[in-house]
Amino acid sequence: MATLFTLNFVTPRATASLRDSTKGSPIKVPYLNQPWKRVLSPLESRRMQVRAAPDSLSEKVEQSIKEAQEACSDDPASGECVAAWDEVEELSAAASHARDRLKDNDPLENYCKDNPETDECKTYDN
Amino acid sequence: MAVCPVYTTQSLNSTCSISTPSKTHFSSHHNHLVFYRTSKRTSKRGGSSSCVITCSAGDSQTVVIGLAADSGCGKSTFMRRLTSVFGGAAEPPKGGNPDSNTLISDMTTVICLDDYHSLDRTGRKEKGVTALDPRANDFDLMYEQVKALKSGIAVDKPIYNHVSGLLDPPELIKPPKILVIEGLHPMFDERVRDLLDFSIYLDISNEVKFAWKIQRDMAERGHSLESIKASIEARKPDFDAFIDPQKQYADAVIEVLPTQLIPDDNEGKVLRVRLIMKEGVEHFSPVYLFDEGSTISWIPCGRKLTCSYPGIKFSYGPDTYFGHEVSVLEMDGQFDRLDELIYVESHLSNLSTKFYGEVTQQMLKHADFPGSNNGTGLFQTIVGLKIRDLYEQITASKTAAPLQATKA
Repeated sequence: MATLFTLNFVTPRATASLRDSTKGSPIKVPYLNQPWKRVLSPLESRRMQVRAAPDSLSEKVEQSIKEAQEACSDDPASGECVAAWDEVEELSAAASHARDRLKDNDPLENYCKDNPETDECKTYDN
Repeated sequence: MAVCPVYTTQSLNSTCSISTPSKTHFSSHHNHLVFYRTSKRTSKRGGSSSCVITCSAGDSQTVVIGLAADSGCGKSTFMRRLTSVFGGAAEPPKGGNPDSNTLISDMTTVICLDDYHSLDRTGRKEKGVTALDPRANDFDLMYEQVKALKSGIAVDKPIYNHVSGLLDPPELIKPPKILVIEGLHPMFDERVRDLLDFSIYLDISNEVKFAWKIQRDMAERGHSLESIKASIEARKPDFDAFIDPQKQYADAVIEVLPTQLIPDDNEGKVLRVRLIMKEGVEHFSPVYLFDEGSTISWIPCGRKLTCSYPGIKFSYGPDTYFGHEVSVLEMDGQFDRLDELIYVESHLSNLSTKFYGEVTQQMLKHADFPGSNNGTGLFQTIVGLKIRDLYEQITASKTAAPLQATKA
């Protein structure tokens, strides 16, 4: 029972890497022969996708730059041009924040922040 | 008598929060009246419904700080330094929307004013309006919610998702001891301005802004030097019309300019930072160098302290800024070593530190943050300490007032 429990804990990360490689096509095939590999619920899959966001964010930034350049080719002073470049700025800021968040995303630290009393996270300094 | 805000179950989204009086130890600030009301039908329903109505008189007045800075909000360095002065790390609310812009720590809550956008990204594109334009923001809602939080009432604040560009369902914000509103327009609306106890404006000059944006965006695939330049140029008219005028209302302005120590410097690594502090602001006494009100120019590098190129140069003096009397403290150059920092700190006065070396300690705690070796980090830390001093003065004056009332 204990080993099954620890295996269950490991799998969300394994399925997260699976999810990263197959972007946009969530595989919700229940593992009938391997019941310890559980299927991610929609809430968890959404959370995993947020962590993988920088790729889609980078694409959004690229696309918004192209759109802004198109919008400004007709009339550089128009509202559309200005709004388009503002969108580029907003997305670039979001992308840079996401990159910073990724930089210090240690899975063990994140787990221990919420569960400091577990065996992996106990600290003995008194 | 102080006003007692009652948390009804409706305002808390039908969740009853049970607060234990032991947490506050009935300090002089808080007068907690705890009512326990258990339903008599518990045995039949199979669950107790005990609602606690906590009445906290005395800390119903939240201290509100406004911070105006370009280019959105979030986990910016200034906020992290500010919340660290009060202790604890500010984090997004647990269990809520992962794209929330709010940061919560023990004493402070930081609200991003982008959440009060009235138009989402597609709406703004349709109307041809930038986020800087007041037409894209709901100032009425901003005023109502900041007023409510200031009086100790929890609010349901909308969330603007920067990733999707949509307005997400609202999240509950409970009134903190210190509320920081950060964004593009904290001082734009007059009513919101009157609610602020202290306001700060981060004024980044065009050359420095360009250098910083290049650093930030060159890693992105689609960006090039031209696209970054075009983006800044396109936003400039709206920025100058709507955001820049707010600096005349700020109590403290942190101005970041290119250095004067290196001729023809275009790398933008060494910065000249000016801290412009308004005179006559309640609970705020400006930092000064050697002699308050006089004009000083100071180069600390010499016999007692050796600095590497380009060195450090300080100046201090009175000035006028948009018709107001101000004191300006300026630092040009970079810190290379710890002893430079402690040497400088020992010569500044009115820092509102609790012990000698507190500024240095705070700077060292976040040595990996950008600006930790120049005036931006130094002045941000000093402003953080000033805000702590302001908060303590305000709460002290509030507890003094009811005492006087009981004496009379």
